Amino acid sequence: MPDATFLDSTELVLNMGPQHPSTHGVLRVILELDGEKVLGADCVIGYLHRGVEKVAENRTYAQVNPYLDRLDYVAAVSNSLGYCLAVEKLLNVEAPPRAQAIRVILTELNRIASHLVWLGTHALDIGAITPVFYCFREREETLNIFEKYCGARLTTHAFRVGGLQYDLYDGFEQEVKAFCDMFLPKVDEYEELLTGNRIWVNRLKEVGILNGEDCKRYGVTGPVLRAAGVHWDLRKAQPYSGYEKYDFVIPIGQNGDTYDRYMVRMEEMRQAVRIIRQAVEGIPEGPIMAKGCKIIKPPVGEAYVSIEAPKGELGYYIVSDGSTTPYRVRVRPPSFINLQALDRMVRGGLIADVVAVIGTLDIVLGEVDR
Amino acid sequence: MTAQQLLRKIFLVDLFQGLRITFRYQPTKYICTEQYPQQRPKIAERYRGAPRLNTNPETGETLCNCCNLCALACPEGLIVVTSQRNEQTKRKELVSYTYDTSRCMFCGLCQDACASNAIELTQDFELATYTRAGQIWDRPVLEDGPRPTVYRC
Amino acid sequence: MADEKAPPPKPPAKPPAVMAATPWEGELPAALKERFGDQIRETSAYLGQPFVFAKSESIVDLLEYLKYEADFDYLVDITAVDWPKRAQRFDLIYILYSFARNERVRIKTQISEGSHPQSVVRVHATANWLEREIFDMFGIEFAGHPDLRRILMPEDWDGHPFRKDYGIVQQDAGWVQSNLKIESGQ
Repeated sequence: MPDATFLDSTELVLNMGPQHPSTHGVLRVILELDGEKVLGADCVIGYLHRGVEKVAENRTYAQVNPYLDRLDYVAAVSNSLGYCLAVEKLLNVEAPPRAQAIRVILTELNRIASHLVWLGTHALDIGAITPVFYCFREREETLNIFEKYCGARLTTHAFRVGGLQYDLYDGFEQEVKAFCDMFLPKVDEYEELLTGNRIWVNRLKEVGILNGEDCKRYGVTGPVLRAAGVHWDLRKAQPYSGYEKYDFVIPIGQNGDTYDRYMVRMEEMRQAVRIIRQAVEGIPEGPIMAKGCKIIKPPVGEAYVSIEAPKGELGYYIVSDGSTTPYRVRVRPPSFINLQALDRMVRGGLIADVVAVIGTLDIVLGEVDR
Repeated sequence: MTAQQLLRKIFLVDLFQGLRITFRYQPTKYICTEQYPQQRPKIAERYRGAPRLNTNPETGETLCNCCNLCALACPEGLIVVTSQRNEQTKRKELVSYTYDTSRCMFCGLCQDACASNAIELTQDFELATYTRAGQIWDRPVLEDGPRPTVYRC
Repeated sequence: MADEKAPPPKPPAKPPAVMAATPWEGELPAALKERFGDQIRETSAYLGQPFVFAKSESIVDLLEYLKYEADFDYLVDITAVDWPKRAQRFDLIYILYSFARNERVRIKTQISEGSHPQSVVRVHATANWLEREIFDMFGIEFAGHPDLRRILMPEDWDGHPFRKDYGIVQQDAGWVQSNLKIESGQ
């Protein structure tokens, strides 16, 4: 980034500081502008770095679990799922079918909750103030279900290595079904508010285009990759936790612009409801915890397991040295790697598009910085 | 552009469609403001809030058998349990139990680990204190349990 | 009397446990061994996840071969592990995925402190921030990286936090005092 002095009349270096309502957390973007056109964007991150990977080296496997909720704090259940699957892979156990079904239901509810936050805050950044209230109203219902199930709304600590700690509470199935019935018409409502709206379309179409080849080059995953036309979802490509039993469709976009990402995520919410309905129909009876997971001491080795988190491919690479504490826990954060593509996506656009692109990448700084 | 599209554009049909949804939520029955602190929200039973040391309801003795499992399970290591051995019954008796709520992340591992249902996380979420020292709870505070302030309406 | 004072004889030291890896058979490891010869030390799999142990000089060529000839076009992650007691202290791990084959493979290599492995940015653009993070956290400098500076810690921080000799509550006291104007962060 060249330094701009006050005598330089064409290029301006603008600091979109860590404290900004639209950067979704403490993200600092240093923009190089020519008038309103963006010539380059450099992200400065690390304001929320808490050293989770280092902390994990000093805790036992079960004690690491609550720290990982704080990574992607908007959708805490997925982080827990990825970690539990990784440690279960190291231990070579599999969670029992009842635990898997309940895990799928909670993870999909969590996906809906995450996309609702995305939709509300993205619309708010663009200027549409209404959807954020409606989205958080629906999110309240999912958070109530989480609270009744595991005791916390946001930092759920829902899963344990080997299965689940809590069995379902009375009325879980009815509440989840009622939520699904209530929620689908609400998605149509959001679409009615936004999809055909000319302001929305003009703000989002042709903005922040990232085509399939660039997505693969930058390692971008999740809805951003699917909006670019690449048919890839880890739940279909490498299914985990029983996802192969459920019938759902992966929404694919065409142009890879912000509008397509919006449509992909709206459809993902509908597909999540479809998965929840199938899962809640037939929750198998049985134990909720696998055998042999009381003291977690995996043999020496390493494993990499990744899941399709709402933001992208969330992976855990765990190295075990045979003791009760992991030797290295590496979190492969989807938001960190998606954020790399920000520079590519905003070049040549206008400064207002930077806000739209940050919103559409759906980053959570807890995950970017860990 | 067809005539219908042109008319939809001039008469702002898409914008009015959105406004129709917003105005549908105007009636007062949709207002759901909770008058906190006079009305407290309904909290789930499994909510992981303030900790409490349970006592036997009949005898009033503590249920804690000083196994120290909660202190070992805590990721932050903020529970300190001291005990002494009772020579007659050959069991450990609780001397002091310190819980530091300033570092607690309310993960619930202590209540999962407790074998005798002594430490339990209650539904109390009002944990603010005026001093840092007030955040470290010792045995009498823990056994009293949550005391939410009652406000006059 | 003397017997009570003498310590009991120590049992013979067990050899340190190693990962129970199984050899990885298939056409891809055979093709890799044929192409790279002795640059590849082993091709094994653990728990069904194949990995290739290569020498650090050949990493860029190996990743290029895997990207263009074997369709591993997506770099999932680069990470490092610190084994301070070993001569070659750091393990560098590259995780690759192939969309066409729907397979993942790990490339592992060992480097010693102070060595400068070649950056793979020109093969996979994702590596930019990932290598910056490894430089920031472990102190491994990548040769040929366009923009190697700290990413998560402040620019002028001293020390590399994820190394095993960096304490869990250790902080750069100089930085804390000059920037935050407090005695210590603890």
